[in-house]
Amino acid sequence: MAAVEGLQEDGHADAAQAPARDAGEIVLKLDNIELGFGGVKAINNVSFEVRKGEIRAIIGPNGAGKSSMLNCINGFYKPQKGSISFNGKTMSAMDPHFAASNGIARTFQNIALFRGMSTLDNLMTGRVLKMRRGFLWQALHWGPAQREEIKHRAFVETIIDFLEIQSIRRTPVGRLPYGLQKRVELGRALAMEPSILLLDEPMAGMNVEEKQDMSRFILDVNEEFGTTIVLIEHDMGVVMDISDRVVVLDYGRKIADGTPDEVRRNQDVIDAYLGVPHED
Amino acid sequence: MLEFWFFIEVVLNGMFAGTMYALIALGFVLIFKASGVFNFAQGFMVLFAALCFVGFLEMGLPMIVAFVLAGAIMVAWAFAVERFVLRYLVNQEPIILFMATIGIAFFLEGFGELLWGADVHPLDIGIPDGAWFVGPDGVMMVQQFDVSAAIIAGGLVAVLALFFTYTRIGRALRAVADDHQAALSVGIPLNQIWIIVWAVAGLVALVAGIIWGSRLGVQFSLSILALKALPVLILGGFTSVPGAIVGGLIIGVGEKVAEIYLGPYIGGGIEEWFAYVVAMLFLLYRPQGLFGDKIIERV
Repeated sequence: MAAVEGLQEDGHADAAQAPARDAGEIVLKLDNIELGFGGVKAINNVSFEVRKGEIRAIIGPNGAGKSSMLNCINGFYKPQKGSISFNGKTMSAMDPHFAASNGIARTFQNIALFRGMSTLDNLMTGRVLKMRRGFLWQALHWGPAQREEIKHRAFVETIIDFLEIQSIRRTPVGRLPYGLQKRVELGRALAMEPSILLLDEPMAGMNVEEKQDMSRFILDVNEEFGTTIVLIEHDMGVVMDISDRVVVLDYGRKIADGTPDEVRRNQDVIDAYLGVPHED
Repeated sequence: MLEFWFFIEVVLNGMFAGTMYALIALGFVLIFKASGVFNFAQGFMVLFAALCFVGFLEMGLPMIVAFVLAGAIMVAWAFAVERFVLRYLVNQEPIILFMATIGIAFFLEGFGELLWGADVHPLDIGIPDGAWFVGPDGVMMVQQFDVSAAIIAGGLVAVLALFFTYTRIGRALRAVADDHQAALSVGIPLNQIWIIVWAVAGLVALVAGIIWGSRLGVQFSLSILALKALPVLILGGFTSVPGAIVGGLIIGVGEKVAEIYLGPYIGGGIEEWFAYVVAMLFLLYRPQGLFGDKIIERV
């Protein structure tokens, strides 16, 4: 029950963190989202908003609807009810292409990399939408298209440096160890120069050292590029350390929303994680 | 010495046949790469494209116009397939997509017959049909038609291989084949990619249909030819364009050489089944083919 330990332990970072952060404007707002699969309600009337420049965590026990929530945000799932406001536009559902072209990038719980391709090529796919030349130009692959390719290649190199993955540039990602694959996946998302980055359990299955690295990368991305981050994570210690505000879901409902400190003290949250004794 | 020249002739003939197989296999590879699906309809696309081409020729249109029109029809066909079939099957199991291509195949066969009738259409596009005699005293005979066909097929294969290896479409294509969701998440337009590969597969089918059609006549058995592409694919790997070429050459040369040199000992007709036996051996020992992506399953 590492999760519970983290939950009850006193935070050491947020004391300094909480007052230092300005609340930015709202960049993403989800209103009364409802999503069901057949008879199962994955998300039940959940609303929350994400402010510019913050690290927003979504936590909750398994099956709480966290990943479904991310899938709604980037348009893989279309909620049956509710609305999503993003960039001043309100819509009933997101479209994956719209999301990607408007700066929402994501990683996946089960790594979704292009396994047969090298690290470099994986990152280059993140530049697809940034390339102005149409498909025909790319097919010809000379002149302007080639100059453009070089420019994007240079950008991708800065990300490779940033994530310290220079040595695996040419390695097919299918061959990399798990922790590095997670890092490449983050790299691909960063290559899109996102304004909002959705991370689905970026530290799942990592050892302590890898977790520290990943936390550092997430904080650096947030600080250096000003990227807004929405993150799902099970490791409570990490969540409480790095996030500004936390949404807690349980069985598809929102049971708490606030700073890590507030959430940690919330009785519903403690019940959801520890379980409540049944009366009968 | 005569023996040697004869051997060369057999091998060359095999290679010519092989490039023709490769041409058919190529269409399968393109669609398999982009959607992980064996396109059952590819053979019927070859037939349909050839029927259109011949149909336009018989209307008295110049050859180049007929070619462009038939090509345009194949591109329109790609749009239609995406719009009415594939769009609804994103993220479905490969077997479901496969079933859909079977449906597409039967539709196309019926549609082709409806438009152009079921007769055998002779096709002559002016490929020289004589023979060259080379070697000392001209002991070796080379069919001019075979050479022309091999050059066309080889050129097409080379262009496509370069196109998909060195351009960004190639990268997007491999991305789509690897993971639909991840491709969508970086904003690769899945639908556009599908239109592109089906259109290119359609154009390849047109070229294959014209070449095979001018050798055998444009007839409905052309669609069965596609079966010959299966062993080529198993050998070369379903995902590799160069694999389709090498696979085609190996099958072509293998069956000719086996026919000539093994035939006398174990009875003739080896050509008919040789390819399938080779394919079976490959399935047993190297299921991903010579150049295919290695299949790794996490347990």
